[in-house]
Amino acid sequence: MSLATTSSASKTLILGIGNLLMGDEGVGVHLIERLRQQSWPLTVDLLDGGTGGFHLLTFFESYPRIILIDATLDQRPAGTIRRIRPRFASDFPKALSTHDIGLKDMLSGLQLLGCFPDIQLLAVSIDTVQPMHIGLSPPIEAVLPQLEVEVRACLDAWPAAVTTNSL
Amino acid sequence: MSGQRIVIDPITRIEGHLRIEADIQNGKVVDAYSSGTMVRLIEEILRGRDPRDAWAFVGRVCGVCTSVHSQTSVRAVEDALGIVIPPNAEYVRNLMECAQYMQDHVIHFYHLHAMDWVDVVNALKADPKKTSEIAQSISHWPKSSPGYFSDLQKRIGKFVESGQLGIFANGYWGHPAYKLPAEVNLIGLAHYLEALEWQKEIIKIHTIFGGKNPHPNYLVGGMASAIGLDDASGINAERLAYVETLIKQGQQFIEQVYIPDLMAIASYYKDWGAIGGGLGNYMVYGDLPTNGYNDPSGYKFPGGVILDKNINEIYDVDLRSDTEVQEFIERSWYEHEDGNSAKGLHPWQGETRLKYTGPKPPYENLPVEEKYSFLKTPRWKGHAMEVGPLARVLVGYARGRDEFKEVVDRALKTLDVPVTALFSTLGRTAARGLEAQLTAIWAKEFYDMLITNIKNGDDRMANTDLFNPERWPKQAQGVGHTEAPRGALAHWIVIEDQKIKNYQLVVPTTWNASPRDPEGKLSAYEAALRDTPVADPEQPVEILRTVHSFDPCMACAVHLYDEEGNHMARVKAL
Repeated sequence: MSLATTSSASKTLILGIGNLLMGDEGVGVHLIERLRQQSWPLTVDLLDGGTGGFHLLTFFESYPRIILIDATLDQRPAGTIRRIRPRFASDFPKALSTHDIGLKDMLSGLQLLGCFPDIQLLAVSIDTVQPMHIGLSPPIEAVLPQLEVEVRACLDAWPAAVTTNSL
Repeated sequence: MSGQRIVIDPITRIEGHLRIEADIQNGKVVDAYSSGTMVRLIEEILRGRDPRDAWAFVGRVCGVCTSVHSQTSVRAVEDALGIVIPPNAEYVRNLMECAQYMQDHVIHFYHLHAMDWVDVVNALKADPKKTSEIAQSISHWPKSSPGYFSDLQKRIGKFVESGQLGIFANGYWGHPAYKLPAEVNLIGLAHYLEALEWQKEIIKIHTIFGGKNPHPNYLVGGMASAIGLDDASGINAERLAYVETLIKQGQQFIEQVYIPDLMAIASYYKDWGAIGGGLGNYMVYGDLPTNGYNDPSGYKFPGGVILDKNINEIYDVDLRSDTEVQEFIERSWYEHEDGNSAKGLHPWQGETRLKYTGPKPPYENLPVEEKYSFLKTPRWKGHAMEVGPLARVLVGYARGRDEFKEVVDRALKTLDVPVTALFSTLGRTAARGLEAQLTAIWAKEFYDMLITNIKNGDDRMANTDLFNPERWPKQAQGVGHTEAPRGALAHWIVIEDQKIKNYQLVVPTTWNASPRDPEGKLSAYEAALRDTPVADPEQPVEILRTVHSFDPCMACAVHLYDEEGNHMARVKAL
């Protein structure tokens, strides 16, 4: 990923977030690695957002459409994928990501700045965070193909979604 | 006894998970316990790996200071193998580090700490015209018209009315400890948003030199960015000119927004110049080499230790000596291989053997008389130490460096406070701003050094003589240190048969937030919280002020445990 420039103004960003060192919590980042093996339209960029928090602001500002993939600890069976269309920071699952000062604060800030992008969130339920473990557990590994299908569905869903700005 | 114990868990607006238990009597903290309630085992993941890859793993420990861990890691490996990096690589690392400081300190001040001093809701009552007058009296920053402030006020008003408090949730708005006039609150809020926009620019320096951000690339032996003024894909003249522009914009924001705001806000909170001082022991490893990493006399941040607030005497730090830096686990959820939990271990001999003996969550209180944290307790020659911006500014000042004296003396004069006011919560917060000012100036100096060196025909960016492990000794050990924005950071590595045999990180927040040592001596947070006034135990904003003044970053000090993460300030009578 190079510098975000004005050329990203009409593009879609597929952004995986998570910590590679914490097992299933890194599912977003693992998915990006998988998606990189495939071909994507020129209007789509892929980004391993790591645990980026505030560092990601520039991408949220420069891409009008973002597909965000992150893990959540929400008591649902591991591997449950939920597609959410957040319009406020508070629409995000409570236990999304591990970073207190990261994502949600940044999103609230974006809203105040008046430049909240159109986001589709794929929240992947995980059972537990395995500290200092690289790699995914079998149930999460198993949903990667489905996640990929969901990402493509998000992309396909967009033209209509943009005009209505709701699900 | 008319005491109370309050529990704040988690402390919000920090990275990671920190819990504070504080005993309060007669409106003051009489004792405090700081606990990292997540576990970190990065050391375990590194064992057996290629030392040249360690930077990529440690860079993932935290989303805030990814680059400083990576830099410290490559330095540790370079130290172990005796690799000297070319000047260009040193300048580029310094430039990236300065950019990190500028970004980190601004984010900390506006986004993590300002809400302890600025009452967001009260800002809605400000008179935009008066706000504009105040803003123009403290700075030449152009965005200061009455219309600008009035538009902003409307926007925030709508936001708050809609119930979307977002970043402003968990605030103790209306608390009597907030002292700013509504107009200054509005300026703080306006710059909260401007800083959010600004911070994404300065860090592009990482993308340019590190190839990507977050998690920029590092390289054992130098940097992975090829220099070529006419090279279309490398670091060319156009990109370098862009870096210069970014540095200049960064300097402007810090000089015209951050520093004037810091001084304006501090002038209403001078009483905090006598609160939250704590240990009085300060330690700096030193960083930002101007003449190579192996020449500490050329560091922009000089190293040294100050004991008991005595700035007339400075001690040197030797990270290799096994009697200086040691980590203790007597009050932490770990065990030593030989069962002796009272001894301290130098990080080269360090062990990370987790043994949780604490209560099963959810629990009311931690057994603070026993073990109560996942943080180990580091000590320097047995002394508890504070690390971070205040330590660096004090050591620079005590070493008689003109650059430090200039910014410190100017700030003291502006606020009309004595030098002793530095040993405080306010001093910590002010020191961070002064440091941002200095690093913004130094960024340009390192940029000029880089350009001059390239123009003189030196385009070397990496020393690859020893990149091939076949040329390494069978056994080697090294230590790499960096002054991370939050304080002194070092990684110790032991290499055997081309693989990592042991790897230990001692991070700034571990120095500051650790539990007591075997002798019962308090660490920096715990010491600083003693005597802090708390007007309302249900709303302990004063405790947050002091804890936030250290800029806690628990993610690398410990690791994740909790899920739902409800903020609570629970109060219980003792």
